[in-house]
Amino acid sequence: MKKTLLVSAAVMAFASVASAQVKVGNPMAVTGPIPDLVAPMVDAVNLAVAHVNEQGGVLGQEYVMVAADSGCDPAAAVDAVTKLVNVDQVSALIGPVCSGATIAQATSVAIPAGVVTLSVSASSPAISTLEEGTDLVFRTAASDAYQGVALAELAMASGISDIAVSYAQDDYNAALAAVFAEAFAAMGGNVTANEAHEPDKASYRSEVATMGSTSDNLALFAYYGSGGITLMRNALETGAFSTFIGADGMLSQETIDQIGGENMGAATFTTSASDPSRDAFQAWAALAEAAGVPASDPFVANSYDAAFMMALAIEAAGSADRDGIAAGLRAISGPDGETILPGEFAKAKEILAAGGSINYDGGSGPQDFDGNGDVAGFFSANVVVPKGSETKLTIGSKSYDPEYVWSSTLLN
Amino acid sequence: MFEWLLSDQMVGNMLYVNSLLLMGGIYALMCLGLNVQWGFTGLFNAGIAGFAAVGAYTYAILTTFASGMHIGGYELPIWVGMLAAMITSGIIALAIGAICIRLRADYLAIATIGIAEIIKLILKNETAITNGPRGVAKIPRSWEHLGDARVAEKLPWRLFGEPSAYEGFFREWYPLLFMLTVVGFVLLVYLALEIARTSPWGRVMTAIRENEAAARAAGKNVTRLRIESFVVGAVIIGLAGAFYAQQLRFIEPTNAFDPTKLTFLVWVMLIMGGSGNNRGAVLGGLMLWVIWSGTELVIRFGANVVGDIFPDLSPSVLVTKASFLRLFLIGLILQFVLQRFPKGILPEVRPAALGGKTNEVRD
Repeated sequence: MKKTLLVSAAVMAFASVASAQVKVGNPMAVTGPIPDLVAPMVDAVNLAVAHVNEQGGVLGQEYVMVAADSGCDPAAAVDAVTKLVNVDQVSALIGPVCSGATIAQATSVAIPAGVVTLSVSASSPAISTLEEGTDLVFRTAASDAYQGVALAELAMASGISDIAVSYAQDDYNAALAAVFAEAFAAMGGNVTANEAHEPDKASYRSEVATMGSTSDNLALFAYYGSGGITLMRNALETGAFSTFIGADGMLSQETIDQIGGENMGAATFTTSASDPSRDAFQAWAALAEAAGVPASDPFVANSYDAAFMMALAIEAAGSADRDGIAAGLRAISGPDGETILPGEFAKAKEILAAGGSINYDGGSGPQDFDGNGDVAGFFSANVVVPKGSETKLTIGSKSYDPEYVWSSTLLN
Repeated sequence: MFEWLLSDQMVGNMLYVNSLLLMGGIYALMCLGLNVQWGFTGLFNAGIAGFAAVGAYTYAILTTFASGMHIGGYELPIWVGMLAAMITSGIIALAIGAICIRLRADYLAIATIGIAEIIKLILKNETAITNGPRGVAKIPRSWEHLGDARVAEKLPWRLFGEPSAYEGFFREWYPLLFMLTVVGFVLLVYLALEIARTSPWGRVMTAIRENEAAARAAGKNVTRLRIESFVVGAVIIGLAGAFYAQQLRFIEPTNAFDPTKLTFLVWVMLIMGGSGNNRGAVLGGLMLWVIWSGTELVIRFGANVVGDIFPDLSPSVLVTKASFLRLFLIGLILQFVLQRFPKGILPEVRPAALGGKTNEVRD
């Protein structure tokens, strides 16, 4: 108890020194299962903060991101956000990374306290229907509900009429597989089998043998590092399947290197992508490159957009009070108003000061929130091609020179 | 004059202290449960996360509204859910105990690790019942749920007024009420276990722990007594699991019941506080949770100070790097405590065999 009081006293002492600040909490999954994915996302958030402060700050005050660790774990997220909301008195929250942590912190802490959560990468469809009578949970990443449908459309368009579905038993892949199977069946396709597999097994021969008798096509939802590659290799070795489709969990140079590009058959995996022809993406890519942030890595653009939009929302609301932020987010994201590209904070401030309305157009997409606080996203289809013949590289070049690479084509 | 007491910052700080007592209390309950098994009887239970998960899921499924994602929609009252959590956890412990309680210390540990994994895999794969890895959301929390009009409609005190009259009260005051409830249960379990410890039952448990052959030779039914201890501990851990589910309001099998954060942390808490001493179990649970949670604030404060002195270093980068130090810190604290207090901060005090209640001797 003594320790707690000391800590509280210390925090209070600090809070009183730095009063001219607009504080936003940033509980990213710094530790936990995906720290390597999160590191560039944190950099992108800090880049947005730097841009806002270079251009005068929010409401003329310093824009401060209070970093915390949600560890991709519901219990850690609840604890971290309790501290951000109560001790640090943040105006809003940007992003727990994982869906489970986002749901737990929102229902346990943020929603009861009336604090807005703007997630940067939580993609679970369950988040759309999380709230009852409040408007406090938003996200800059598209729901899996969209990607599953995009994938079903892609399968239909490439002439697949029957397909077996195999998904890793984790929250991301299970949710995506459920959306895909439902959409594919609704479009008139035939789902011949729909089975979960346990990640990280040494062999999936029995799984692929059972499912292989029902169809030649496999919809595979797995992480390449947790059994996905093994399952695909077993399926190819036994000849159980010849055509594969799936989502971003399998997209890695590692997949090609371990299976061999010439062996991979007809494999197409989708991922959320940015449309490189859009002005907003080019503006973002230029800013990111100048700062050494990987612009096209997963959810990095979404992270920048979230931090930047939160600053715009507070500026538009005219105060850092928790109550006005949800309305602010809707005001600056809507399809109407003058377009603001990544980095254009001073311009946005000027328009808002003159009583105009703005529409932020982000590097990751137009970022127009629907009624549930969700955004639509762009997706790309990715196939394996010999290096040199790709339309656009999916994954940035590495130090060595691979024979085969992923080539990306934008869907929708 | 006392306006500063009601400033947002002060209210926030008090709410944080409240949450520390709350989570610390939940961990203290788990420590008390483990103390019955390990501290009293010497049963090495390495499956705490599994029993907590059983309690949490039983509670969640019985009390949530229908979601269409998992079986449920029973909307049972919270106390029924908590009672069922304790009973289910106890029944599972009974079944496991009947099979493997005769295993000696380290073999029992391996068996319980395996059982916790089996429980986790069942929760993960029986998607029709538990919604699998996608988890159970919107779990009702004690007192807060009374602010939900759907719940309030059904309550007997509806006779005294419309739900709108008291919804607001519960929505505002549930953190304090919930914390007091958890702390009340910690106190209740503590008192019950103190009675158990000083009773003949508690002394037989110590006898089994210290010299099982002698206890058997004295005519005690050792197997039965070991099962009793295992079940009592599991019931308490199941209750803690139900509170854990209430506080998180969302549970899923993988991350929320990660053995490093439940099994390992609870063991460290008990060893640190004093295995065999109920007060030590409560102290260990509360203290380690305060350290675990509070270090983030200390680190953040330190990073800001360093950032003020050296403008080249970004505080947020420092915080990111320091997050990895927290697990290391727990290990360091454990080392320190084991060096300075080999029997825990509050070592076990054994009731004298013949001297009566007042004449306790230190081991």
